[in-house]
Amino acid sequence: MTILSIDTSCDETAAALTDNTTVLSNIVWSQAADHAKFGGVMPSLAKRMHEERIYWVIEKALLSAGKKVGDINAVAVTTGPGLSIALGVGVEKAKEMAKKANVPLIPINHVEAHLLSPLSQPKPKNRNNKSKTVSKFPAFGLVVSGGNTIFVLLNGVGSYKVLAETQDDALGEALDKAARMLGLGYPGGAIFEKMAAKGNLNAFSLPVPLLGQENRQIFSYSGLKTSFYRLIESQKAKDPNFPSKTDTYNLAATFQNAAFTHIERVVSHIIKTKESSAGDFYLGGGVAANVELRKRLRAICRKHGLTFRVPYIKRLCGDNAAMVGVCAFLNPKFIDPEKIDRDPNVKLL
Amino acid sequence: MRIIKSDRRAITAAVSVLKKGGLIIYPTETLYGAGVDATNPSAVKKLSEYKSRPLGKPYSIAVSDKKMAQNYVFLNPTAENLYKKFLPGPLTVISKGKQKVAQGVESESGTLGIRIPDYKLVLDIVGVLGKPITATSANASYKKRPYSVSDVVNNISSRQKALIDLVIDAGTLPRRDPSSVVDTTLDEPVVLRQGAAEIFKKVGVLSRSEEDTMNVAKEIWQKYETHNGSRAIIFALQGEMGAGKTIFTKGLARAMGINELVTSPTFALENEYTGGNTTLHHFDAWRIENPQELLALGLKDLVADRRVVVIEWAERVSDVIHDFDAEAVVIWVNIKYGQAEKERHVDWGVNK
Repeated sequence: MTILSIDTSCDETAAALTDNTTVLSNIVWSQAADHAKFGGVMPSLAKRMHEERIYWVIEKALLSAGKKVGDINAVAVTTGPGLSIALGVGVEKAKEMAKKANVPLIPINHVEAHLLSPLSQPKPKNRNNKSKTVSKFPAFGLVVSGGNTIFVLLNGVGSYKVLAETQDDALGEALDKAARMLGLGYPGGAIFEKMAAKGNLNAFSLPVPLLGQENRQIFSYSGLKTSFYRLIESQKAKDPNFPSKTDTYNLAATFQNAAFTHIERVVSHIIKTKESSAGDFYLGGGVAANVELRKRLRAICRKHGLTFRVPYIKRLCGDNAAMVGVCAFLNPKFIDPEKIDRDPNVKLL
Repeated sequence: MRIIKSDRRAITAAVSVLKKGGLIIYPTETLYGAGVDATNPSAVKKLSEYKSRPLGKPYSIAVSDKKMAQNYVFLNPTAENLYKKFLPGPLTVISKGKQKVAQGVESESGTLGIRIPDYKLVLDIVGVLGKPITATSANASYKKRPYSVSDVVNNISSRQKALIDLVIDAGTLPRRDPSSVVDTTLDEPVVLRQGAAEIFKKVGVLSRSEEDTMNVAKEIWQKYETHNGSRAIIFALQGEMGAGKTIFTKGLARAMGINELVTSPTFALENEYTGGNTTLHHFDAWRIENPQELLALGLKDLVADRRVVVIEWAERVSDVIHDFDAEAVVIWVNIKYGQAEKERHVDWGVNK
């Protein structure tokens, strides 16, 4: 089934063509570079940029997949969660495209799309032995991004149970904020990872969130932000030149370590206590691109006999439309297009 | 549950119920209170059940005069001073306790809040009983402030109702804030709740935990919720990274009767929570560079619709918020880091 998919949930204008779970094309135009000038996001600008670029992004997706509008069997679009006025642009465009191609329109939950993103596959000629096709349910799924941090049990496609979710900040957001505290600009997550890799873990210490309280089955980053703020302030009080370049590396490493250890501990606790026959562990979302996080979660999976699955390329981790198309193939909901609307606060059920 | 009028006969009735370990609802110069004999462990247990309060949260006690207070707490010069100036009146003074009350009344650190209500009926009841009674508001935790008996009974379960032995009905009380709370056990006296008594010129309290910060949000909400529905209410939150703005919002949502999980809206810029018959709109201006952008998110319509809005990082968009000064009730809340790891200073002010 050939699907044209669209995602405008936040800063990225994205369109893709997928055939079942195979990604034919995946075009993402990020606004991060435009927003970086301002150091933040501008919702009205975001909306305008989505409007200006959506046509071009869809054309490019069709072109690089070698498809025409007449080849499409369905259109899929993210309806939420996300930034309301940005979502609206994608939903309107998707309705228009579905009408034009005279095909069904499938509304997709952005978090579910991240959750199932490891099931995406490259085109057959690009597949190697490592491409796993058969999924074993139940499976564990972790989505870590700028807007979400949620751990889920998948009993099957469309049947989810939330095992733990963040009570305050998402992991990606916490990393972005820590980067901002270090003066690394916005969005700082990616550069933060590079700096952390150069840092020494023993130079400073930060408490791991909710240490010993893993049985509460929640994630929380508010306390870690506080400790990080206090740490930086106390060092500044001692040394007006703080932080040096090395200090910044060390601080990044320390923060990232505490943030990831928290994820590891909660996830391990749940895997251990869940009497489950789970076979797979899915990791999706923007922070899934982080090499250190992958390494740590892969080790947990090895220990518990789980098959670790991440999207086959990093582009499928951050916000993109191919994951929306794959999700629409795996869990299609056919609804009267007139009744489809953006739903910025929708939850994963 | 027996309801009687507030007259001379109420004193004897109340004292006899209290002596048997019973729970009474009684009027004061601020709100309706829930009282049990503060020295009777099973009566205090009953009260905690009624309030559905987590263990470890202490109760203030009402005494008849300073002499009686001194049987239960050590008064230092700061406390003496406050007694002289404000009591009887709407002020709770926290001192070091003498461990003469039932377990759970004093705080975990051994402090005890004393109140001498400026309300003759209560002073008479306590005087005749010869022992202090608990002085906590008659509502369950995070429920509406009780200014009338119906405020109490309409907001509790039948299980809670069954725990009340006697209600003294003095009609609808004038709408005053609860008592102010001052802790005198520290080097400097610290206001823990800014209520009816104005201790210092500035409105501000010390929070020692996330729970405290949520509680402050509740107090502020309860003070201004009368505007809900007639005008928009905007909470403009300011504070450094990690100061507790989202925690404050959690307390606000809880006080509004919203059970949905409140999380940081930094990424999506706006979250929306519903519960009961209210909606809370939760904005985050951290990523917003140009203040006018807040309007692109629909703030104008929300104010016109008289909604309740909370905005984190409000200092980044203060100009736009001030544009609504005439139309909305704007409450500016500032959360600052304190000395100890968990301490925060929370102060606030309202546009007039």
